Amino acid sequence: MEKTTVLKVEDLDYKYGSIHALRGISLEVNEGEIVALIGGNGAGKTTTLRCISGLLDAPESGNISFYGESIVKQKSDKIAARGIMQVLEGRHIFSKLTVKENLSLGAFNRQADYASTLQYVYTLFPVLKEREQQEGGTLSGGEQQMLALGRALMSKPKLLMMDEPSLGLAPIIVRNIFEMITKINKDGTTVLLVEQNSKAALNIADRGYVIESGRIILTDTSNNLLNNEEVKKSYLGEK
Amino acid sequence: MIGSIYGLIAMGYSLIYSASGLLSFTQGELLMFGAFLGLTFYKYANLPFVISITLTIAIMFMVGVFIESFIIRKLVKAKANLIFIVLATIALSIVLKNFAMLVWGSNVFQFPQIFKTGFVKIGDVNVDPTSIMAIVIAFIAMLILHFFMNKTRFGTSMRAAAQNPLAAKTMAINVSRTTYVTWGLASALAGIAGFLIGPVYGVHLEMGTMIGLKGFAAAVIGGYGNMYGAIIGSFIIGLVETFTAAYISSIYKDVISFLVLIAFLILKPRGIFNSKVYDEE
Repeated sequence: MEKTTVLKVEDLDYKYGSIHALRGISLEVNEGEIVALIGGNGAGKTTTLRCISGLLDAPESGNISFYGESIVKQKSDKIAARGIMQVLEGRHIFSKLTVKENLSLGAFNRQADYASTLQYVYTLFPVLKEREQQEGGTLSGGEQQMLALGRALMSKPKLLMMDEPSLGLAPIIVRNIFEMITKINKDGTTVLLVEQNSKAALNIADRGYVIESGRIILTDTSNNLLNNEEVKKSYLGEK
Repeated sequence: MIGSIYGLIAMGYSLIYSASGLLSFTQGELLMFGAFLGLTFYKYANLPFVISITLTIAIMFMVGVFIESFIIRKLVKAKANLIFIVLATIALSIVLKNFAMLVWGSNVFQFPQIFKTGFVKIGDVNVDPTSIMAIVIAFIAMLILHFFMNKTRFGTSMRAAAQNPLAAKTMAINVSRTTYVTWGLASALAGIAGFLIGPVYGVHLEMGTMIGLKGFAAAVIGGYGNMYGAIIGSFIIGLVETFTAAYISSIYKDVISFLVLIAFLILKPRGIFNSKVYDEE
């Protein structure tokens, strides 16, 4: 049976002034998948995610559709309300708001099932329950990443986009975060994962795209990418 | 009483700064505008007090929304230098003053008595009931604002958008809306202040200038951008003025208030609530 396409990006071109950041990016994410977008620093990973979530100006050309409907010129809050949640690089929690307030804002546009969703998030990350009255800024880096992820889950997203969730975290915390992403996916959330830690991302993803200088240069299943000699050499740190 | 008026103005400064990182010098003239609106509704249209103040708040809110949506946002979008945006707010305050002069003229207007009774005796002191009312209403306005910002979903989203607009956008929060509501609230607070001070000091074109500056001083002393700091700073300025007038001379109350501001800027630039007022290295 063919899977439903959640997100389809076609020939996306984006420029920051005179800098051509994305050149004809095309990718697809199907329902229930974890799709990894890997690449080096400045390759265009974050720009791709921010184009999808409407955080940047409209692209030069190309289309982005969500469940078949174009979202390319919609505002970020409307896109989020449709069910696309992005966990930003660097976490971007509201540092002066309590953990509970941060989580409640995740559900800003979706109040149904609030209590059960909060319970789900607390089950995933018990430390957030323990610290619910603390200001977000007082949490450790790992806890802040959990909060950012939990906050995104509060809206019960149809597509969860994560930008560099492992950035700046200790290996043990990274392992924990990736286990949680796998669990969240098994519980029914489709995930688009952007990572420089390519090995960790491909280990949990179904498929992957390799982006370089604003172009998709390779796409395949994660297993094939993990065994691809070029990918091994350029992105997995293997000789 | 004057401390509570400064408090309303200072909270407006803090709200705007925390929401958009901007300094608006229209607060004083918005106070004057609110006072003239109150005068029009209460004295000339003969509307009841509650309706007059409600209408004033509503119109002033819309004025704030208009200023943000049609002037400030356009400048921010055009990536205007911050100093030019501040200058634009100064220009706007001149426009507001001239507009008020065209509509209401340049005379000093007296508000009709709100209370028919004379002074109220509290202990050995006779107090004007209008002043008591002003303090009570200002206090209620602050409480409502505190409740709105901390206990409502929209208020929480406003605080979130002020702290991190990028993250707020990913949470389906309409940051444009939270910003114009913030400017609307700041303007409404100035309108309430104008309506409350009008019956005590009279209504005229220059009434907002000094109060606006003192409200700014209060916001800095409290910790610029911190709503609660603004209230504390306002009461400090109010007390400094009152004690200067009582024990030195009322001639010096302005100069001493601003000396206190300068002292804070030198010795404790982050204010009582330790706000970030300088760019970090």
